[in-house]
Amino acid sequence: MPEQAPEDRARNFEEVPYGYSEETAILEASRCLKCKKPRCVAGCPVNIDIPGFIALVQEGKFLEAARKVKEQNALPAVCGRVCPQEDQCEKLCVLGVKDEPVAVGRLERFVADYERNSGNIKLPQIPPKTGKKVACVGGGPAGLTVAGDLIKLGHEVTVFEALQEPGGVLTYGIPEFRLPKATVKAEVSYLKKLGVNFIMDFVVGRNSTVRELMDEEDFDAVFIGSGAGLPSFMRIPGENLVGVYSANEYLTRSNLMKAYLFPKYDTPPIRRERVAVIGGGNVAMDSARTALRLGADVTIVYRRAREQMPARAEEIHHAEEEGVKLKLLNNPVRIIGDGHHHVVAMQCIRMELGEPDDSGRRRPVRIEGSEFTMELDTVIVAIGNKPNPLIPQTMPELEITDWGTVVVDENTMQTSIAGVYAGGDIVSGAATVILAMGQGRIAARSIHEYLTGENFPKV
Amino acid sequence: MKLTIDRKAVTAKKDETVLQCALRHDISIPHLCTHSHLSPFGACRLCVVEIEDMPGYPTSCTTPAAEAMVVRTDTAALQNLRRNILALMMLEHPSACLICGRRDLCEEYRPVAEKAGRTTGCHTCNNKNVCEVRTLAEELGFCDLPIPPSYHHRPVDRSNPFIDRDLNLCILCGRCVRICKHQHGTATIDFVDRSSKTHISQAFDRSLLDAGCRFCGSCVDVCPTGTLADRYAKWYPKPDTITKSTCIFCEQACALKLEANKGELVTARAVNEDIPICVLGRFAIPEFLNSTDRLRMPYVRVGKVLRETQWKEALKTTAAKLKEFIGDGFMLVCDTTSTLEDRFVFKKFTRKVMKSKNYIEIEPNYRGISLSSLPKGTKAVLLTGKFVPSSQLNGLELLIVQDCFGTNVSQRADVVLPAAIFAEVNGTILDGSGQKRPLHKACDPPGQAKAEWWIISKLAQAMGAKGFAYRSAGAISKELGISKAKLWVKRDQAPEAAQDLERRRTFFRGHRICEKVFALRELPIRDSSVPSRAVSKRTDGFQILEKYEIAPNVHEIVIQAPNVAKKAQPGQFVIVMVDEKSERVPFTLCDWDAEKGTITLIVLEVGQSSRKLVLLEAGDRIDHMVGPLGIPLEIKQYGTVVLTGGCYGIGAILRIAAALREAGNHVIVIVEGRSHYKHYYKEKLETVCDELIQTTIDGSLGIRGHAVDVVGQKLKDGEKIDCVVAVGCLFMMMLTTRETKPYGVKTLVALNPIMLDGTGMCGACRVTVDKEMKFACVDGPFFDAHLVDWDELRDRRVAYSAEEIHLVGRTESVAPYPGHGDNCRCLR
Repeated sequence: MPEQAPEDRARNFEEVPYGYSEETAILEASRCLKCKKPRCVAGCPVNIDIPGFIALVQEGKFLEAARKVKEQNALPAVCGRVCPQEDQCEKLCVLGVKDEPVAVGRLERFVADYERNSGNIKLPQIPPKTGKKVACVGGGPAGLTVAGDLIKLGHEVTVFEALQEPGGVLTYGIPEFRLPKATVKAEVSYLKKLGVNFIMDFVVGRNSTVRELMDEEDFDAVFIGSGAGLPSFMRIPGENLVGVYSANEYLTRSNLMKAYLFPKYDTPPIRRERVAVIGGGNVAMDSARTALRLGADVTIVYRRAREQMPARAEEIHHAEEEGVKLKLLNNPVRIIGDGHHHVVAMQCIRMELGEPDDSGRRRPVRIEGSEFTMELDTVIVAIGNKPNPLIPQTMPELEITDWGTVVVDENTMQTSIAGVYAGGDIVSGAATVILAMGQGRIAARSIHEYLTGENFPKV
Repeated sequence: MKLTIDRKAVTAKKDETVLQCALRHDISIPHLCTHSHLSPFGACRLCVVEIEDMPGYPTSCTTPAAEAMVVRTDTAALQNLRRNILALMMLEHPSACLICGRRDLCEEYRPVAEKAGRTTGCHTCNNKNVCEVRTLAEELGFCDLPIPPSYHHRPVDRSNPFIDRDLNLCILCGRCVRICKHQHGTATIDFVDRSSKTHISQAFDRSLLDAGCRFCGSCVDVCPTGTLADRYAKWYPKPDTITKSTCIFCEQACALKLEANKGELVTARAVNEDIPICVLGRFAIPEFLNSTDRLRMPYVRVGKVLRETQWKEALKTTAAKLKEFIGDGFMLVCDTTSTLEDRFVFKKFTRKVMKSKNYIEIEPNYRGISLSSLPKGTKAVLLTGKFVPSSQLNGLELLIVQDCFGTNVSQRADVVLPAAIFAEVNGTILDGSGQKRPLHKACDPPGQAKAEWWIISKLAQAMGAKGFAYRSAGAISKELGISKAKLWVKRDQAPEAAQDLERRRTFFRGHRICEKVFALRELPIRDSSVPSRAVSKRTDGFQILEKYEIAPNVHEIVIQAPNVAKKAQPGQFVIVMVDEKSERVPFTLCDWDAEKGTITLIVLEVGQSSRKLVLLEAGDRIDHMVGPLGIPLEIKQYGTVVLTGGCYGIGAILRIAAALREAGNHVIVIVEGRSHYKHYYKEKLETVCDELIQTTIDGSLGIRGHAVDVVGQKLKDGEKIDCVVAVGCLFMMMLTTRETKPYGVKTLVALNPIMLDGTGMCGACRVTVDKEMKFACVDGPFFDAHLVDWDELRDRRVAYSAEEIHLVGRTESVAPYPGHGDNCRCLR
């Protein structure tokens, strides 16, 4: 797929890949073998009829293709961009054995964008109201999926969002250049058109507890998709210095608050010269690439080797192409400040790989005496989050794990309380958008069954 | 004339006053209304002296020096008299900080640039670094106010371009009135009304603009208090360098005194204080040069996009491209706002390197674009400004733009080079009469921008040309044979733009100045193509039901927010986003009514977000508000609880006190204010506590001192206190902590660090408590004060103060505080 040259995009916030043209899309779609037992569908957490929509693309029926995708996926323009297809549908594509797999993700993005740009968005027929009310706590990928699925079955759905805009991590976390916010807004407005009620600036756990939603506001079922919570830090000295940020804060400033447009927007950006990003996941890549675009010289510091980096290969590739430096097998020991609590340097130690740990990855071991100091003015800590504690705190009867995640039945996503379901990062800790959506889909199915006693219809 | 001053024999010049003579001989006599460029006035009477054989205490500023005079300037009686005079003067000026014993600690503990929209004490005063009143107070050992001061509760006038006027700080020295008369012949401003109502205003209370003000800013420059403030410069910290240079906005070439802070230009003033300069020279330069629209990096076109690059790369590419256009197909266009040195290099480059005769030097004009078309046969052009309409550039094969701002012309360029201009460079220019005037570098150029001679010299060198190895502008002046140019200080007449606003320049190198300096749009010669501020009337969001300024700069705002009101508990806060572009900022909940669905906030205007909030009127709407957030204060039986509050904290402890008392505690509330007029909510607080103690720094109400002094005294007296809760500014809370620590009294403080989401997602609000990382939004806001790392908290809170200046410093006028009509309930 054509994309902006690394030197150009490293200084702007526009989307990196330009997207397929109609011709390229048809060409790509024609590569699909239309397997009788499509393995790709099995790899999709939300079971999109992949050969079905690709066939429509091949015929040039882009709008129909988009509608096909939307039967299973409420947010195709988002998933086409941020799903790790290489580990899902595309991984299982037969063509991939000898050649490149069919670019399912890019085709998905293409049809979703095509439909949006055409302005010809057809709303599906919505069955008569069931009279049941469902609350989605959190307007992120999981909550939006639940809302999209259940509204189409005639339930009344309300999404409660704490921030000023819906989208959750799609809005505050993933940068503009990877997922344009206009795309997220369009997906949300589609849900609004379907009749989903969005309530902004509402924190479940503060403005109302889950219990109160059910008892006082007459919600028949509640889906908890409250997402990531407190950012994790390394517990090393100096982490409260001015200039040390959690990736959440760094990205929220830039994405949600539009700090990169300062002073047109009031939130100040973090425009510094030398930035280190700690961590090797997608969030670390997003932070590094954002810092780069704000004019910094950026180094990613990761304690394991490249092979163990949890980020998508494409993201690491993009980051390196743009000029982000990788310092692998290095671990921060302490962050050093000047007399005014401003970061001036970070001490690191070199690591080597030892025996495999619980995750199956080889454990990084310190090489004693190999400490060294990096001069810098900003440190972004992107080593994950703990789940958001607000709901468990205000709902003692809800069963949670030692990690603070909500305990659910994996087959139904039901929590320890009848009528209360959960999905996304509040269940899995810190995972991907599509996994959250997959869990949302399962939860939607269970909620529907719980509310009506009927089976979830095969669309 | 020989006379004696303080037993020292001195000689006076003809027509010299006693004061002038003394000052010339390094004998200091306190004085205030006197100004070196104004005739004696004798209003403040601080310069009183004793002269033998003269009755009473004559003012030295109005007494001519005479032969054989014997003058005493420093007797105990005189000093006493002066202290009393100053005290009387200070009764109408927020003066508590002048006599506060903790001022040094307070100022050390506050961010350097902390300023407020309305000043009620030195700590937020825009004048604090250069305050003559403060210096006087220190010299005279001023430490007491004999009678309570008064505050006039006049609204801050922010309806004029460039100048804020807070008459509550005015001591009626009359310098502004006199300088206006002195410089312009007639005074735009004058004393209005009589006796205690006397104030400075325009005739018939017209606006400054309508009254004919030229915005020369001289009144701001001579004001010894913070009454008159340069709206842009006031938010900056104290300037650290002062450089004299020349204005290049027009050919009048006025001599300027340029003040910068850390390389960033803050203010420009006239060097010659007798002759005013125009509005551009006085007010537009810093904002123009500091504009965020400045070009900071070189750009080179690759395919369809302009790609940011480094100088080396940019010069190499440009040189390679230019080599193809040697000959008359090349043209360089500049104007006379480039220095003589720059233009010399431009010309040399065009003739010698490019071998072209097309070096075009244009005179700046009022319309901006100067060349309606390019000569036939032009293939390559280097422009140093937006001199040509972009439609005329279609046929070009190469376009190089070396400019200070990006434009639709530079968007089409093949190479864009960022130029340093004006106060960022050294050099020489010619004024309208052909005299050479110097430019001295007063501030740093933005990003990688470079002086124009540097750019073209490097370009020539990159093309292999000899004779361009200049190391400074001075080296070029030498080659040019320019002897030392002199500033045009001693002019006898003000430039025409300083006499008539409409004659000011509106363009600089084709850039409309008012697009970079917002407030210029409010002056005559309004340009219809510049959009005026949009006023939006929203129907969603959170409506403000009532808003009163209940004490100076203390705004009580009642907002419709049923979801918040329903669940609010003592000590919690809300995050407010005034509009879609605002920051998310926490404010402590002061009061709420679950039934009516309303909440009350107490807001002080100290920065961008709070300013946006207090400038809203009843009926307006806030875009976003989320809350209640944070863990409420644990309400239980403590025993005797002391609640201390200051500033917004006076309101914030209202419901905490009520809840604690309800829970059976003996509640003592101690609230502090700098002076009596800073107190509010007395009646409300009395109903929710067992004992209410008010303190003021100047002793004008209640106990003299801070709340912490009362706490300390109670502890010293052995009174039983089981818990102290402090809510207020960081300084106040830290002070309380210091006082209670030795006694081991449990002390809780409500911390207010910078927040973003407020729900525990971002971690911006980290504080170190007992060496552990805590998040104030979900673990707080209340923490054990004795375990808080206060210094870290202070430094984290001001992490963005430098950036904030770019927001609050934008010089657009705002409507004066609304709601101060005849029927207004405020300030009563």
